Amino acid sequence: MIEFQDVTFVHQNGVKALNEVSLKIDTGETVAVVGENGAGKTTLVKHVTGLLKPASGRVVVDGLDTSSTTTAKLSRKVGVAFQNPDHQLFSESVEEEMSFALKNFGFPTELVEQRVTWGLNLFGLEEYRKSSPLVLSGGEKKRLTLACILAWDPEVIILDEPTVGQDSIQKEKLAGTIKMLASSGKTVVVVSHDIEFLWPIQPRVVVMKAGKVVGDGPAGRLMLDRGLLDTARVAQPHLVEFYESLGRKPGTPFTDPLEARRWIEGEGTT
Amino acid sequence: MMWLSGGFIFRRGTSVYHRLDPRVKLLISILMFTTTLLVRTLYELAAVLTFMIVVAAVATVLHRVGRTMAFTALFSGFIFVVNFVFTRNLETSILYAARFVAIVVSTSLFFITTSPDELEQVMKTLRFPRDVVFAFVTAVRFIPVMFLDTIQIMDAQKSRGLELEQGNLLKRVRNMIPILIPLVVNSVVRSGELAEAMESRAYGSVPRPTSLVEYRASAKDTAVACAAVLLFAVTAYSFYFVLPAKIL
Repeated sequence: MIEFQDVTFVHQNGVKALNEVSLKIDTGETVAVVGENGAGKTTLVKHVTGLLKPASGRVVVDGLDTSSTTTAKLSRKVGVAFQNPDHQLFSESVEEEMSFALKNFGFPTELVEQRVTWGLNLFGLEEYRKSSPLVLSGGEKKRLTLACILAWDPEVIILDEPTVGQDSIQKEKLAGTIKMLASSGKTVVVVSHDIEFLWPIQPRVVVMKAGKVVGDGPAGRLMLDRGLLDTARVAQPHLVEFYESLGRKPGTPFTDPLEARRWIEGEGTT
Repeated sequence: MMWLSGGFIFRRGTSVYHRLDPRVKLLISILMFTTTLLVRTLYELAAVLTFMIVVAAVATVLHRVGRTMAFTALFSGFIFVVNFVFTRNLETSILYAARFVAIVVSTSLFFITTSPDELEQVMKTLRFPRDVVFAFVTAVRFIPVMFLDTIQIMDAQKSRGLELEQGNLLKRVRNMIPILIPLVVNSVVRSGELAEAMESRAYGSVPRPTSLVEYRASAKDTAVACAAVLLFAVTAYSFYFVLPAKIL
């Protein structure tokens, strides 16, 4: 479980990036953190790995206070795939890149080999096993960073803008991977601007604005709250807009956008 | 690291010193630099350093100059040790070590109060070749970006279990490889992209492009420049003709 208790964080330039944030994420939950640029999303997740320490308040991850725990220790539990893959790739080959963290954590050689192969297959990177990670395309680099994180099987997986540079097929695959991780009991936190990507996953959504949590609830409910989304400068998913417009059309058998969604997807009883 | 970088990177300010013509600020820094080379005793050097601290206070960058001094302390300590080992003269060793601090502070005062745009104008005024000006100013402009990159790379690698502060010296040096490779690769890629972006915006299409800003020294700037030259002349004269060469 991850718990933020009245967490405030102030950058060196005096900007308050988090302002008394209190948030509880249970084990196995899938949470999307959304908000405009500078809302404090990345700052929030950096506290989970102890990369940033709160100026006041506490962040507790699986019983460990991040203020007094090293990032190396926390990273065994929490894997973060950062926004820019170029900030982590350095090895001579893709397989070495993937094994970097596993070696740091002291995994036995056989298991390293096994986990690397699993990760490369999962993200369709097997053909690049011996290639330099630096020559991969932007989307492939992004997938490699995700594979690197999943390789050591952390309990909490944080994905910072995972869809940047991904085509629609890869986005679908990624959404599938997130659902698979969630179904296997992992806690997944996704920081994203890509509302269209998040909508089918139907995560719990945490909406941030100016370092504060201004909305928290299931996507199905929060994404209908146009007032909240406008305040946080978050776009509404096109599908929700479509369902809403359908719901307003005279003669349609429903008034609730969610009901419309179920009807469209053939799950409803209408 | 960011704390130290604050001692070298320009940040906008509104002090009287910030508002001076950049050419005058360059002149003051050159004069301070030259004065530090002229000093012969620790007392003279202390006077020069005090003057620099006063200038830093006027420019409201005293804290940042303090950081510069902290950063140079390590190198200055090295200079002291080397000098002391070879000369066995305590005063000379301290003088050389402190002189290094003064030299860095004199240049730092210019860079932390002069924006890259102003720097570009100064270099153009001094008739430096355009490509040299562009390369130098871009390098200065990208220093904060490189620091930010370094921090993000360190965050990413620490999140993969890399412990930078663990192990002996050799292990710590090896731990820097996952930081340095992405940093260098990113810089090379960025410079290539920047070159393409500049060329696509007609960089180099005319030998003498026009400028948005043309600097003209005001009466205040001229007065400050004259006062700086006068002070330098008086100080240099005092060092060689008034003050004793050795006090102790």
